[in-house]
Amino acid sequence: MAKLEASDAVVFGISIDSPAANNAFAQKIGVTFPLLSDMNRKVLKQYGILKMYNVEKEEYDWAQRTTFVIDKKGVIQSVEEEASAINPNNAVAVCTKLPKK
Amino acid sequence: MRTTHLKTMLFAAALTGSLVAGSIDAQQDGKVNHTSLKAGDMAPDFTLLDNQWKQVHLSDYRGRKNVVLAFYVLAFTEG
Repeated sequence: MAKLEASDAVVFGISIDSPAANNAFAQKIGVTFPLLSDMNRKVLKQYGILKMYNVEKEEYDWAQRTTFVIDKKGVIQSVEEEASAINPNNAVAVCTKLPKK
Repeated sequence: MRTTHLKTMLFAAALTGSLVAGSIDAQQDGKVNHTSLKAGDMAPDFTLLDNQWKQVHLSDYRGRKNVVLAFYVLAFTEG
């Protein structure tokens, strides 16, 4: 987090959870950045990362684990999906390389 | 600072970890979508509520900050 702040970046977590659930989650894990609620899945659709999950033979569409790094011009600089999105080091590396202005 | 960093690392791992294998299984039938967005594309703007019920507009950060969006499956699932 310190590295990301030093690189002039802000971080948002995003899921389909409600703000209330996200707030409890944020408190539980002590996260310092905002967690955003995409309850109508609008942003998941915009970003093309709705994914079907099976739970007890019912289907649910939730987010695919994905990390996007967006520069100050609003241009996507990196996209990481699934396993590679687990490790934040690449996002940190991308942010660190971006121009300060 | 070190503690904060560690917490963030743990959170990122929790966000994106796969410890829930067995309780939430992605379909194996090839329906997994790969995002069509790629490096060099404009990030679609959005407005969402944060965990304090305040609106966050992605466009507010244009020209000011780099933004990292970490999409996770569900709160409390380590998924």
